[in-house]
Amino acid sequence: MYDWLLFLHVLSAFMLVGTVVVYSAVVLGAPAPARTASVANIFWAVGGLGTLLLGIALAIQVDGYHPWDGWILGAIVLWAGATELGRRAQLALDDPAAGKLAQWHWLRTVFVLALLVVMVWKPGA
Amino acid sequence: MSVLAVIRPHSWDLPLFLHVLGAMVMVGGFVLAITSLGSSARNGQVSRLSFRALVYGALPGFIVMRGAAEWIRSKEFPGSSDNDPAWLGIGYIVADPTLLFLLISMLLIGLGLRRARRDGGGGGGLLKAATVLIALVLVADLVAIWAMTTKPV
Repeated sequence: MYDWLLFLHVLSAFMLVGTVVVYSAVVLGAPAPARTASVANIFWAVGGLGTLLLGIALAIQVDGYHPWDGWILGAIVLWAGATELGRRAQLALDDPAAGKLAQWHWLRTVFVLALLVVMVWKPGA
Repeated sequence: MSVLAVIRPHSWDLPLFLHVLGAMVMVGGFVLAITSLGSSARNGQVSRLSFRALVYGALPGFIVMRGAAEWIRSKEFPGSSDNDPAWLGIGYIVADPTLLFLLISMLLIGLGLRRARRDGGGGGGLLKAATVLIALVLVADLVAIWAMTTKPV
């Protein structure tokens, strides 16, 4: 059970970074084919849900962790921030008139990187 | 198993972070390349995006992932590689062909771009071959992620 939770949790995180890579290319001037943008947005939705739900399940499953541990609560706050920034980036990509695609995307990237740092270093664990 | 997951020396954290980040960027580059290749084929145009996704995304990601893998291996399993666990072997089995397939895909897409520029079209067969190679790499990467996280024996 633990193995599958961890595998799917990490796989979800790969999907989040996959979206970040695609959006980075677009922000840096690459064209955004509809199919590529759709895959990126699906990855963001599935990856976001997967990292949160499976992460909480892992926190319950693993003896040494609890969902209310500081580093896990911090990760949930970062996840929420990344999710909102990702939503704004997606809106800006769909409607260029809304603008600020680069701003929302790079901020989202910082949040995702911070999430990865917290997941690896687990401060306070 | 679940208690072991909590215990990891902090000296492993930086190489692990770089290993995972490199792998994530590499996979993201492959995903961008394969989806844009699909779009190119559908639109009848050869896109440079897939080539750049491999050159600026997948290749640097691979280098960071592979370098950090050796770094953390030297900490976790110092000395001889004779007693390496199976999951580490799976990592090597996937990583090295990944580089080969990546380089071949770059070559195929590059040739496809050149042919399209010269002839004003074409290169479809080369792009299809590159798409198949990248798809194989993504499936192999899925196996590697499974092996790295579940660590079977």
